[in-house]
Amino acid sequence: MSKLKVGIIVFLGTNCEQDTKRACDFFGWDSEFIWQDEKIEKNYDLIFIPGGFSYGDHVSSGRIAKLSPAVKSLPVGKSLIVGICNGFQVLCEAKLLPGALIDNQNIKFISKVSELNFQNEIINLPIAHHQGNYTCENIDKTQVLMTYKNNENGSDLSIAGIYDKQNKIIGMMPHPERAIYEELGLTDGRKVFKFVKNQI
Amino acid sequence: MKKFYAKIIVKMKPTVKDIKGLTVKNAVESFMPIENLSCNVGSVYFLEFDANNEGEALHMVEKIAQEILSNEVIETYEIKALEEV
Repeated sequence: MSKLKVGIIVFLGTNCEQDTKRACDFFGWDSEFIWQDEKIEKNYDLIFIPGGFSYGDHVSSGRIAKLSPAVKSLPVGKSLIVGICNGFQVLCEAKLLPGALIDNQNIKFISKVSELNFQNEIINLPIAHHQGNYTCENIDKTQVLMTYKNNENGSDLSIAGIYDKQNKIIGMMPHPERAIYEELGLTDGRKVFKFVKNQI
Repeated sequence: MKKFYAKIIVKMKPTVKDIKGLTVKNAVESFMPIENLSCNVGSVYFLEFDANNEGEALHMVEKIAQEILSNEVIETYEIKALEEV
């Protein structure tokens, strides 16, 4: 069986690409980085837009990244596209996912392990964001993938992640790539990666 | 080509919670007695650029405001000034 082919987009200011790559390595996926200025022409099974502070979050998180050749050439509907944290913000700014991520309700940067409802169970994943408060008019509840048990940031309907199955695009604020290795005390990220693989 | 100056204000839509505005409001109210205070926090952008005429300049500013300076899902923009320098 051939290895999954994965692309990981890197912008100026991205800082989670290495953890995302290591998570792919853990599962035996064949991953490589895609620089922001590259037009995506290879056939990837899966493309990650990892976390970080693309373009320094200038103007707003993900606002400048949406203009990059890599994002403009995303093979929507062909590859599964997964945006994590800043990646989720980029996808919303690019109007590839509905809604937007605004300042956390408590106006602070939240960095903690969060309990989340995911696939009929509670999992624990790290969250680390200042603009993680998801807001959307006319939310399509069938797209809700993951919710916060305690809604730390004030998101509409406690939404932590959404999934547009038709266009094969997932966006989530929590960091599953930081919850893979037992040495770090959290492994629930493996469940998210397994779910992602099953969507391909 | 002519030189133009534009000033654009971007704010949260009234239907979206302006958390920064609320924070500033709470801070001001704890700082001094003040009646019926409302507060919005936004951004002001100053642009200077070349264009052939005012019509083209306006079109360019509209596009910049819509695509980069604001997100229509959560923000509104207002072109406060557009003039030939």
